[in-house]
This record gives sequence, structure tokens and C-alpha cells, in this order.
Amino acid sequence: MVTTPPTSASTHDEASALDRGPAQEIRPPAEVRFADELAVLEAADRAKGSELPPGWRLSPRAVRAFVVGDAELGVRRKFYGDDPLVDRAVVSLLGRQGLMLVGEPGTAKSMLSELLAAAVSGTSNLTVQGTAGTTEDHVRYSWNYALLIAEGPSERSLVPSAVQQAMSAGKVVRFEEITRCAPEIQDTLVSILSEKQLMIPELGSEARVSARPGFNVLATANLKDRGVHEMSAALKRRFNFETIKPLTDRQFEIDLIEAQLTAELGPASERPPLARDVLDVLVTAFQDLRAGATSNGAPVKRPETVMSTAEAVNVAVAASLEARYLGDGTVTPAEVARQLAGVASKGDEEDARRLRHYVDNVVRERARRDPRWKSFLSAAESLWQ
Amino acid sequence: MQRAAAAVERLRADGIYLAPVRHHSPACALAVGALVEEVRPAVVLVEGPEEYGRLLPALLDPRTRPPVAVLSLGTEGGGAGFYPLAEFSPEWVALRTGSRLGAEVAFVDLSWVARAGDERSGDAPGRGVPDDGASVEDAPGGADDAPGADDDAFARTLQSERNLAHSRTIAAVAERLGCRDHDEVWDHLFEARTSERLADWRELFDDVFAWAGLARLDYEEEVLDADGSLAREALMSARVAEHRARVEGPVVVVTGAFHTLALVEALTGAPEGEAVVRRRPAGGYGPPTSADAWLIRYDHERLDGLRGYGAGMPSPGFYERLWAAHREPGGPSALGTSLLVDVAAEATARGAQVSLAEIASAAEQATRLADLRERPWPGRTDLLDALTSCFVKDDGGLDVGIGRPLGQAVAEVFGGRALGEVPPGTASPPLVQRARERAEELRLVVTDSTPRRTRLDARRTPRHRERRAFLALMDFVGSGFAHQVSGPDHVAGRGMGLLIEEWEYAWTPLVEASLVELSHQGATLEAVAVHRLHRLEHELATTGRSALGVARLVAQAVVAGLSEHLDRLVALLRSTLDVDPSLESVVGGLHRLVDLWDARVELGLEDHADDLLDLLDHGLATVAYLVPGLGAVDADAEPAAVGTLVALRDLLREAGRATPAPVPDGGAHPRGDAPPPGGALTRTTGRAEPVLRELARLREDRGAAPGVRGALVALAATEDALDDDVLVAEVRAQLSPGADPVAVVRFLGGLLRVAPDLLLHTPELFDAVHTGLRDLDGDAFLAVLPDLRRAFTWLKPAETHRLAQQVATRTGSRAERIDVHLAATEQDLRAGLALERELAAMLTRDGLGAWGFGASRHTPANPLSDQENQP
Repeated sequence: MVTTPPTSASTHDEASALDRGPAQEIRPPAEVRFADELAVLEAADRAKGSELPPGWRLSPRAVRAFVVGDAELGVRRKFYGDDPLVDRAVVSLLGRQGLMLVGEPGTAKSMLSELLAAAVSGTSNLTVQGTAGTTEDHVRYSWNYALLIAEGPSERSLVPSAVQQAMSAGKVVRFEEITRCAPEIQDTLVSILSEKQLMIPELGSEARVSARPGFNVLATANLKDRGVHEMSAALKRRFNFETIKPLTDRQFEIDLIEAQLTAELGPASERPPLARDVLDVLVTAFQDLRAGATSNGAPVKRPETVMSTAEAVNVAVAASLEARYLGDGTVTPAEVARQLAGVASKGDEEDARRLRHYVDNVVRERARRDPRWKSFLSAAESLWQ
Repeated sequence: MQRAAAAVERLRADGIYLAPVRHHSPACALAVGALVEEVRPAVVLVEGPEEYGRLLPALLDPRTRPPVAVLSLGTEGGGAGFYPLAEFSPEWVALRTGSRLGAEVAFVDLSWVARAGDERSGDAPGRGVPDDGASVEDAPGGADDAPGADDDAFARTLQSERNLAHSRTIAAVAERLGCRDHDEVWDHLFEARTSERLADWRELFDDVFAWAGLARLDYEEEVLDADGSLAREALMSARVAEHRARVEGPVVVVTGAFHTLALVEALTGAPEGEAVVRRRPAGGYGPPTSADAWLIRYDHERLDGLRGYGAGMPSPGFYERLWAAHREPGGPSALGTSLLVDVAAEATARGAQVSLAEIASAAEQATRLADLRERPWPGRTDLLDALTSCFVKDDGGLDVGIGRPLGQAVAEVFGGRALGEVPPGTASPPLVQRARERAEELRLVVTDSTPRRTRLDARRTPRHRERRAFLALMDFVGSGFAHQVSGPDHVAGRGMGLLIEEWEYAWTPLVEASLVELSHQGATLEAVAVHRLHRLEHELATTGRSALGVARLVAQAVVAGLSEHLDRLVALLRSTLDVDPSLESVVGGLHRLVDLWDARVELGLEDHADDLLDLLDHGLATVAYLVPGLGAVDADAEPAAVGTLVALRDLLREAGRATPAPVPDGGAHPRGDAPPPGGALTRTTGRAEPVLRELARLREDRGAAPGVRGALVALAATEDALDDDVLVAEVRAQLSPGADPVAVVRFLGGLLRVAPDLLLHTPELFDAVHTGLRDLDGDAFLAVLPDLRRAFTWLKPAETHRLAQQVATRTGSRAERIDVHLAATEQDLRAGLALERELAAMLTRDGLGAWGFGASRHTPANPLSDQENQP
């Protein structure tokens, strides 16, 4: 669904036709959700007479405040953990370089990118959603072929990409999951970023779109996940990289998993009981494997598979289903262990070895003292014998 | 605070100029210089133990070049402390500028000997609030630390700002200013001022005074009393008053900002100053205490908070440049770019690629960050952030490590590498004397430089253990005094069965020279050793991933009597074990560990015995993880892999012996399951279970390297994990007709290396091997003959003889005919056989095959098959 809120730069009738209004959206974009805060910050900028960078809606300091909060103005904190990173990100958007947010899945890269785009340009909807199927047309421009055949190449028959729109409007374009696109598609950005213009040879040798001040590319990428592509050195040079680290707050993660379980399987009374301490085993195992060390510092071999919170939710759901249909209706660490083995190893022998090492090294030790881990150990061992 | 500010004004009117400083702050140093230049004091008083007055001639000597430090020793050599001075230390500037302008200079803080006890109690874990403005740092690893007081000597030296770092007020300020820690708050508020503004010392000191005063209000009297602050402030305020009464001109007092409020209150008689004033003795303090102290060279490495030594500010290299920049025409605003260029150059020199465009964009980024954070020019964090943004193109940040040239370059440039100078003839520190005395105590001859040998029975004689520990310690610090000649060597893992060890030693002038050279690393041998230990640890942790290397270091430390650092070393070994990719090194490291455990009584490791066993468990899990990798080795690496397996078998045997003290529930085996497979060696414990499981998996993996499989089969057979018939079936399958002869020989090679005698004791196995070899094609046999010969060399001569007899029995030949040593080389044999066959082929071609038949009967291609054919 393409939505074009009033603030959007989109001028396309086709897009507007699909707009069913923000009221029906599951998740309105940041500039709609936080419209009041953006207005407050804008007013504060005006009151202070802050200098706005060309093309920006807010001053850099106000953009920062939008993300990390400002108690005096009643702006909530939306991004936790690394304020200097936010500073660097805001400043990178001011410069010639693009901004590349990298990190593992579930580290709120996309959220930060959305917040920054909304604060800087007033819209977070100029977005290329990168996939393996993304083509050059998505990055540059494509054609309305009926018009193209009827009238030949003209501005009317040209369908601009989000990148082109952002250039001509002087806004920030988001490029999500850039490493999922093939390297040659990624590299389309190279000349756009260095020359800040997009040539359209079909409209004549002089035809081009020049970027107006305020244009920049804010990409998110995953460097280590499966199925991602390499990034060329040329492209890397044109981006400033910022690495977002995963959250390490276990309570936060436990709450999140419970909420997701409820969303998937219904309220706690209707699904197989998953005791808090069993959930604790699950989250502990995930955090150990994700961090490459246990909380008391014992090293763990990190699997290639991304041990994201989303995967932890999958394990919890699968363990619950196993308990309901194959077990006695209560989720125990044994179900967690069996499901974890499937999820974490994903059939990869190397990861299976790493998991065995985790079981041998960490779980075995814990099993001596803790019956929950003993149950985990016995279920895990049978899988690998 | 306002009253206090007024009091500061009153004191100035009275000619007492208090300079509240942060140690090693260029901003404060600049302002102190301006203050001294302006008021032309009669006397400059500096916070620092009173006894340092004796060292003033050396400190003021023009040949003295910072960084230097004054070394103090507590009673009995314990509680050593360093008082470091950098070029940009306000104290240094006060001393030098004051004396240049003819002022009298003096130190006015409590003597180190009197303070040492307080420092220590204030440092006890859990107290949380040790001394702030202490410019005397605890020596890393002060020799006689109470065990457990704080094993991490480096962390303990991070005291100079701890009251400020822990202050709630400053934390709140940091949050408001968007700063990540109190260092950044300091930079933001003070270091970011222009040179001109800093020259206005009134403004700076008033601000610093307010800043530290607010932090001080977070602390209660009991806390300040416990960490010794109040006692020190009592003396300092009394001394200031004495000097005020004694001289005519102005008095400048340079102290840590944290103490200034207390001094103001005490000197003006404010009611809040009562807590300090009542701690003064009734009869006054009398003349300054005298105690020994030594001026020594110091270096940036030990000045750097980030690198763990923590005397003051992080990144001394950066502040040294900042200090220099203040005195250049452009001021600090151009500092950032030159620093970025230097980082880029260092990174390039280390193999990174940094383009000019990237430097330019980093400079721009730094300026914009400074702008966003409202600073006049890029400060330390802005520059580091700009480097992170623009130079880092992956998710590793500015890590210092293997393959992180950028991180190393940043550490180099921001850390700095200056090394100070002290004038020649400066009294040498007591390290030399101490070492000599200790040697004499142990009745080692140090009266001349003749090399001598001493034989030690450390296992049975405690006195010899002490002697060995001293010799090993001297060896470890690199003094060149002693080295081990023979006997059990725990570090190399040699001669573990021997009782007597022999050391050679000699007290040469070179030994003395190297001890003097080592003095800046510590006041005692132990402290120097700890310093070295930390350095080696750091090297191993950052550049190497060798568990064996770390295990050797552990052994070195233990033998040299540094067992109190074992916990940290064990932790390092633990983490290294996990990243070590080499099974050989892991197994080697665990061997060292088991040896140490065996010698735990002799080495005084009883308290750590369980830690070592825990580590062994952990290591065996790593071994289990690495074992599958052996299956993938190629032919060249196979002998090494088989060697590792043999070492692993020995390790498992030893590990089986090592059991913790019995636990009440009746056994070390943690789980009540059936005993694990794997025979006697592991029946007592389950710790080898994962390893045995992986070994069994690998053994059954048909795709694994044949030599490794052969070794594993033999291993399992000798440990009774494999029945004879299974063993024979396995070998038959491997040697079945049509098998790749190279693989066959590799398999046999592995098998014979691990258990050569299997062939003699298991007739079915002998049959299988015999048949397998006999059925080999002649060409193939020739090709693998060298490897086959090598495989059989693992048999002892007597075993070879028995094997020959068995072969003779089987083939109906005579043993003497087979078990002979021919003086022909392998090449001779090969050439001869080839010639033979060529001749036979020629005869056949010429229709004279019948001639050749007779000849070939006596020199067949395959001796085994021939012997079988003989009548």
C-alpha cells in the first residue's frame, strides 16, 4: 500500500488513488505519529532563530532532540543506547557523504532511519525497499509504458523513483536493506552520490535531474546476515558507516517476547503456559549466543545465524505449539532446547558445532546446579548424539 | 557556593591565590601559568607529598623533561605510588614557572607514608569513593598488596578523578549537555576554551571551582574522612596558612579542584570548614615530614587513562598536542585536522587505505559535530566520532586488534608515546638494592659476576622453592640474572618427571643496568614483573590467539610466584581457549594446565586447583569443538594432526587423573547416567565426554582424512572403546581390494603411529593388514612404499623383530630373511626395482619372457606376494 500523507513530496496521481487515509493504517509513518513533537521543535527553532541547513525542516540540534528526546520541550526519547551515534548520524546527513546504518536485524536501524528522515525532510516515505529483485528502475526512474508508446519519452511518461523525487525536492531518501540488492544495483547510487545528479538520456543529451540542497541518502544494511551481498569499495567510500549495537536489556526482551506470543497465540490463559523462568532460559540462551559470551563473561561461539529477538519469538511460538500438540501442554526448557536447535543451526553443520560447543561448555556447567538447564541439556544432547 | 565564591575573593585580597585544577589538564596548566606570571608570587605551593621538596633540585633541573614521575614507597616496600608530571600538568607548570620567576616552591600534601593506609582503605571494593585529587597514584601492582584487595592493578590507578567521575551532579550535567562521561563534560566546559580566554585565570578557576564544588557537595563527611581527604586538607590548609604568615608576597596554591572548597572553608574559618580544621593536631604539624622518594622517567603509555594506567586524563597524546597548539599562532582550532592527518598516516603505515578525500570529509564531519555540540573547535570526542563516521567502513568501530590498523593508529596518535628524561646522576631507585638483598637472603652469591650454578629440589624443599621463585622472577622481568639449565620446566613442559632442577646465575653490571632501566615500571621486582605480565597479557590478548602461549605465561607467572594474578590469567586463558583455532595449541595449553595442577602443592596452587579443573572442563569443550576440523586436513598436515591426537590421548589420560576433591553426593561425575564410553581413562569423570563423543563421530565419518581415522580407530581400540572384531572389520573395509593405496597407507600410518603394538597383539588385524598389502598392485605398492616404511618405523626394534617373525610364519619364509637391515638407500632400491622391471619387459618383448620369469622370482615387485608364492 502506498500512502501519501499531506506532507509527502509525491505528486503522483496513481499514488494518491491508493491513499486510504492515515486512519486505517496499521502503522502511520513517523512524521504522522510524532507530528506534534515535530511541530514543537519547529516552533522552538523559530523562537531561537536557529539556522536551518538548506533544505532541512529542523536545525541539526532539533533533529537530535527529536531522536534522543528533550524533556523541556516534551519530546520523548525514541532511540536508546548510543547518543554520540545519533550526533554522528545527524552530522553525516549534513555532509556530502551518505549515511549507512549497519547492524544486526532487530537493532532499530529502520526506525532510526525513519525518525531521521521525518525530522530532517518532513517525510520518511521516500523509500526504496531493497530486495534481491530491486532493479535499476527502482533507483533511477522508469516509464509509464502506455504513455511512452503513445507519446515517446517525455517528462509526462517518466515515472520518477523515490531517489529522483528526493533529489528534485531536496529531501532525504531512505534505502532500506541495501545489501539485499545485487551489487550492480547498489552501485547505481555511486554516481548519484558523487555527482548529485541523475542523467536522463532518453529526454535528450542535456536532460538531468540535479539534487537540490537537503538531498541525501540514508541507507540501512546488514553486513552479516545470510543472503546479503557485498558492497563495492566505491559505494562504501561514499557512505559514512554507523553501527547500531543490539539491545542487551534482558527484561525488555522477555517483555517483548511475551507480547509477541500473545499476539500470535492469544492471551496467556489460552496458550500453553510458558513460565517466566523457562522464558528466562530462552532469552538467556539467545543473549549468550548473540553476544558471544555469557553474562559472567564465559565466551560462547556465535552462530552465523542471527539470533535476533524475532527468532527468539519464533522459538517461543514453536515450543508452545510443540507443548500443546506433542507434549503435556506446558512449555519446558526441553521444548525450548529442541526448537532452539532447529532455529539456531538452520541445518548448517558449522552452526550445529557451535551450538554443541555452547551446550558442552555452558549448558553442561549450568545443568549441574539448575534443573531447568538440566532439562535443556538432556533434550539438546539427544539431538546431537 | 556563592558564599564560597566570595570567600575566594577575600583570600585573593589577602594574597592567597587558590588554583583549583584538574590534573594533567592543559587548560588548567595554561591558566596556572598566567596566574603565576601575573601575580609574581613569593611562594608557590603544590599538592604533592611534603617529602618531595627534597627532589626539587632534580625536578627543576633543565635536563629534566616530562613525562617524569616521583616514586614513593610505603613502609616495608608496600603501597608504592607514582606522582606523574606531564608537560601539560598544571603542577609542572606551577613548579617551573614559579621557580623561573624566583618564587619559592614547596609541596604541601600529606606524606605518602602517612597516606598509604588511607588510600588503601579507601580503595577497598564497595567503598566506592576513594580519593579524588590524589596526584599520587598507586603503583600498578604495589608489591605487597593484600591478596584480593584489587587484583587488577590498572583499574586501581584510575583514582585521580574518581570522586568526580562518580559524582551524581556531574552525571546529571553530562546528561544535560549530551556528553557521554565526565571526561567529555570537562572537555566541553573547560578544554574547549580559547587560549586568550584561558589566560583569564580568574574566570577559569572560578568556573572549575564551582564545577568541583558541586561535585564535592555529593559526598558526606564520613566518606571523605574514610578516604583520607579531610586529613590531607587539614595539613594543606595549615601549611598554606603557615606560608601566608611567613612571607610577604602573594601565595599561589595549586591543588586538585576537589579539595579547593575545603581549603577555602578551612582558611576563612567558615563553619563548614570545621570538619577539616578540627583534624589538625593541637601542637601544629611541625617541620615537613621527610621520606624517601625517587624521580624517574615516565611515559605516555602509563599516563593514559584509556590504556588502563589512568593517572588523570585519557589520551595524553591528544592533550600534549592541545597544549602545544595553545602556544602556536593558530591556536587549537587547527589541531583537529593535523591530528586526523596523522591518524590517517599511521593507519596507512599499518596497511589501511585512507584517501585525502576521506581525511577532508572527516575534518568536515568533526567541525560539524563540534558545531552541533556547541564547541569552538573539534574536541577529543568530536575527532574520535568523526574518525568513526568517516574512516570506519564496517561494524568493528575503532577496535584495536589484529587487522584493525585504524584502531591501532588512533591508539597510537591519541595515546602518544613520549618518554621523559631525568638528569644523569639522579639517585637510582631501590629496586636494585632490593633485588640484591633478596638474592643474599637466599644465599645466592652476588659478590662477583662469576656465573654459578645452583641445584634445586623444589618439590621437596620449601627453601629451594623460594630460591627458584626468585630466580624465575629475575628471569621473567628480563634482568638477565638467571636462567634454568635443566630439570622440570613447567613453562616449556619438559622434564616433568625429573626432581632436581639446575639454574645458572650471575650478578653482572648488566643486571644492575637493566634493573635501573626497569625502575620506572615498578618499585619492586614483583611490581615490575606484574607490569611485564600485563604487557604480555595484553600482547597475547590482542595479537595472538594461542592458548598454548597464554598457558605458558600462566606457568611462568606461577613459577615466578605471581600466583595472586592467577584469576585474571585464568580468565584470559579461558577466553583465549575459545578463540584459538588450533587444536594443537589448545591441547598443548591444557597439558600445561594439567601439569600445573599436578604440581599444585609444590607451586602453592591448592587454592586455585578447582579453578584449573574448571578451566580444563572448559578447554575440553573447546577441544570437542575443534576435533571435527581434524577430519579435513590434507595429506601434508596429516602427520601433525595425528600427533595432536596422540597428545590429546595423553591429555585425556592425565585429565582422567585430575579430579576435584570428592563432593558429598559421592562423585565427580555430575550426572547419574551410565558411565561414558571411552574406557578406563575417563570413567572417573564425565569431563571428557564431549571430546569422546566428537572423536567417535569423526571416527565414523568415512570422508575424514584416512590417517586421522586410522589413528582414531587405533585410539579407540587401545582405550577399549572398540571391540577387536569391530576394529578388524574397520581395517578390512579400509584395505578392501580396490581401495586407494595412498589412502590405505595413510590409514595404516595413523594406526601404527598411535598403537603400533596392535598389529602384534591382534592376529585378525595382522591378517587384515597382511592381506590388504599383499593384494596391492605392484606399481601402487612401489608408489606408497616410502610412506609404508615410515609407518612401520613407529614399531620399536624388538617389535619389528616380532612382526618379522609373524610375517615369516605366515609366508613360510625365515624371519632372518625379512628382518635384515640393507645398506641400500631408498633410491637405490627403487632404481634397482625399476631396472629389473624394465629388463623383464624387454625380455618379454623380445620373446624371451621365459628367461625373465626366473629372474623376477627372486626380485619381485611385491616381496610379500612373492614370499607367499615361494615353494
